[in-house]
Amino acid sequence: MNFREILKFTTVADRVLFSILILLSLLGLIFVRSLIPGGNSVEIDVDGNLEYVLPLDEEKTVSVQGPQGTTLIEIRNHRVRVVESPCQNRLCIQQGWVEHGVITCLPNKVLLTVGKNRKMGSEPDAVTE
Amino acid sequence: MAHPSTPDTSKHNMKIACFLVSFALSCLLCTVPACSSKKDRIYHKSRMLMNTIVTITVVTSSERAAENAIEDAFHTIGEIEKQADFYSPESEITSINKSAGVSDLKVSPGILSLISQALFVSEKTEGAFDITTGPLTLLYNFHTKQKPENGALTKTLPLVNYRNVVINKNASTVYLRKPGMMIDPGGISKGYAADRATDELKQQGISSGIVAIAGDIRVFGLKPDGRPWKIGIRNSRATGTEDDIMATIELTDAAVSTSGDYERFFISDGIRYHHILSPMTGRPASMCRSVTVIAPEGFLADSFSTGIFILGPEKGLRILKTFGYGGVIVDNQGKVHITPDLRGKIEFQRNP
Repeated sequence: MNFREILKFTTVADRVLFSILILLSLLGLIFVRSLIPGGNSVEIDVDGNLEYVLPLDEEKTVSVQGPQGTTLIEIRNHRVRVVESPCQNRLCIQQGWVEHGVITCLPNKVLLTVGKNRKMGSEPDAVTE
Repeated sequence: MAHPSTPDTSKHNMKIACFLVSFALSCLLCTVPACSSKKDRIYHKSRMLMNTIVTITVVTSSERAAENAIEDAFHTIGEIEKQADFYSPESEITSINKSAGVSDLKVSPGILSLISQALFVSEKTEGAFDITTGPLTLLYNFHTKQKPENGALTKTLPLVNYRNVVINKNASTVYLRKPGMMIDPGGISKGYAADRATDELKQQGISSGIVAIAGDIRVFGLKPDGRPWKIGIRNSRATGTEDDIMATIELTDAAVSTSGDYERFFISDGIRYHHILSPMTGRPASMCRSVTVIAPEGFLADSFSTGIFILGPEKGLRILKTFGYGGVIVDNQGKVHITPDLRGKIEFQRNP
């Protein structure tokens, strides 16, 4: 039995009722989706203050001003990296592209938190090191 | 299957209508539980404090409650940083160090408690953990690859001895007997701060969470799915993100800390110079690559991991057994030693 045959057995009232129920379902799904954290953003903190929350699905280069100077941050392909930094040890640049977790530049007090709301699964909740 | 022209048509129509209504209602109902119930969720936030990354995780149904509790816990850690920073000219620790050999100094209850706890661990680790290694700390610079000459070590070592720290709990004072002595609480302050931040979160009504001050971690309660928190132990010789976790363990209401030779180090003439200095020799301890301790409180896990790193696996395992703490020790050959209580509980991802 195909969809047309099914429709033959329904009245106008049935169809209105189905349409309303399906519409409500879709609206519900959209509403729930908006409540569930996506984990697809990067937070940029400078000296303890949140400066930017940027989506990871938009290519972007952003510079922030820390106590030692400008840190240049690049977002591409759902990843983020530090491109330029005034710090001496350049550990933040050496970390390279990060998909989730943190990149930190202690000297310039820049903290990037990527995929902060990522789903907790097989990954550890914290790491002792 | 009934044909529309048969007498069963109306019955059949009813069946189809029921099916469609049920289907649409199912779609609708699937969305309802998520909308209507206020479920516990995991919230976390990171901040730079104590010269490292602090990440606080809490489980609660209210985002506002999570934010308030996390902010207060950050504040608690920030206050401890102000009091206990070895390098800050304004900290209480610096004031104590400046008064060494001159006079005792009245200190806050927090600093008195921190120093008392440190002295307790020094005694229990045969002096391997010692907060008076401040003068040794200043002889090394891991960014500029500076290490001391033998003469400087000989001159400095007599200043290192926790027995020369005099505390008066009634008067709330601390006195360092020798001029030039310096307390460096770096080996215990993060664990201590994790304890105080956990206290703060609990006072705010949070019943489950993690305070992670770099690798010094305190966990309490369970995750929203009812499982304990899963803690990764860093691979001491990781080459990248693929192999950075050596093992994982599930924990609740415990503290875990790791001391490793890979945190701050440089290699000179084939020798690894790292930040865990032996109070006996003044040189980086060489019997272990990493030591992870699981204890009831953060200050214990933090300081015992340092002390056991210096003492080595044999004595370390003995001490852990005496106190009933869990431990994972990777010796200088890469061999892993674990306390019997962790067998079957720890899941190794790869060889260290």
